[in-house]
Amino acid sequence: MSPQPGPAKQKILLAVNGAPRTIHAFPMARLLDVLREDLDLTGTKEGCSEGECGSCSILLDGVLVNSCLIPALQATGSNIVTIEGLANDDHLHPLQKAFLECGAAQCGICTPGMILAAVHLFEKTPKPSIEEIREGLSGNLCRCTGYLQIFEAVEKASRNEVAD
Amino acid sequence: MGIATFLHGAGFTGSGERYLDSVVGIEATADGSVRVLVSSTEFGQGTNTVLCQIAAEALGIPYEYVSIAQADTTIVPNSGPTVASRTAMIVGNLVRSAAIGLRQTLQSDGTLGEAYTADEFVDACRKHVAKRGVLRSLARYSSPEGIYWDDVRYKGEAYAAYAWAVYIAEISVDLTTYSVKVQDFVALQEIGKVLHPVLAKGQIIGGVAQAIGLALYEKVLWQDGRMLNGQMTNYIMPASCDLPLIRVIFEEIGNPHGAYGAKGIGELPMDGPAPAIVNAVVDALGIDFDSVPLLPEEILAVMNSHSIATTDSVPAESSR
Repeated sequence: MSPQPGPAKQKILLAVNGAPRTIHAFPMARLLDVLREDLDLTGTKEGCSEGECGSCSILLDGVLVNSCLIPALQATGSNIVTIEGLANDDHLHPLQKAFLECGAAQCGICTPGMILAAVHLFEKTPKPSIEEIREGLSGNLCRCTGYLQIFEAVEKASRNEVAD
Repeated sequence: MGIATFLHGAGFTGSGERYLDSVVGIEATADGSVRVLVSSTEFGQGTNTVLCQIAAEALGIPYEYVSIAQADTTIVPNSGPTVASRTAMIVGNLVRSAAIGLRQTLQSDGTLGEAYTADEFVDACRKHVAKRGVLRSLARYSSPEGIYWDDVRYKGEAYAAYAWAVYIAEISVDLTTYSVKVQDFVALQEIGKVLHPVLAKGQIIGGVAQAIGLALYEKVLWQDGRMLNGQMTNYIMPASCDLPLIRVIFEEIGNPHGAYGAKGIGELPMDGPAPAIVNAVVDALGIDFDSVPLLPEEILAVMNSHSIATTDSVPAESSR
């Protein structure tokens, strides 16, 4: 048997934070690496690399996914939102402001994923209860904060109580 | 319900701070703002914020006028490692001393009056830097008076200050699964002075959460010198649904050796939760436990051995 040829990089078209992008990546490249290295969007963080911690959470066609588990080819034609897609120029997203006000970020590794998980939660449940917030963020681990100030921030943002 | 009362010394133990011999700097920049120079490293705990607060307070200028240099020892002096609950108290106090030195330099050469506005301060810094090229003030650690540790006899005062705390845990034990859940948690501590309420609360909640993991979930297994369960799937840390409300209460008695009375708080909240939780489990089950984490399988094993012992004692009791 002749050796199998190695996989070749493929041209992949997708939309990231509202802009069309073209990348050339191996089909099984992790979407996380494509975002961070090919598209220079380093806001998405790598945590456990095995789909457990939620640090690399992004929205893929409106679904909250761990980008470390998504092969690049699977993202073909998809619409991706990363943490960089939330702030509008210098104007922070209400969740980002609330995280700053409440001390909801310490080391910052879980923060982008936490905020995207909260964005995803708000799409289903705009005014979540504390139990719904706990449930909505249950796929995202945080070692620094003990979560409570994160819940406080999400609650504050949901009540539109964030100062401009 | 279980209670733990405890303390945690701030700064290096014994003569540690004397040997570290930390130096902190503060400098005026050409635009008249000031920059704190420390090797103490921000990793989310709020070091940059509180050190800039301390400098601003000591100089009598707005917080926005103070920045902090990258913790790179080619440009900052060695203020020691970012460990041992020492930064707010020890390094903070040195930042305060260095800031006072900078102010006094400006006042002694007549560039700045005794009483001044923030704008006058900025103007004085600009003038001084334009004229002399640099305005930098350094402060070096010196042992507080009356605090002495004998390295030979290993006796004396091990720390210049201690934070004191009472933690209370309310727990439930599921008698089907043997899992313990913390239902409510109160963390009361005397930390001298709360420099930043949101950040201080974050240090306590985060530490308590990690220590609840130590008490109930996080079991390190070793094999051939390597951690056997080094994955999120088999080394379980608390997730968002596992933690109770953690109610944080501060008392502020002050501390003459810390910046504006501050003591260290970084490590304190790791000390109390496990004993409070184990005491609560002992209170709930009436059985002693002497190890952590109290995983369901550990509780089951202890309860089984206890019920066997109890069963064995039944004939003796009934024969009385």
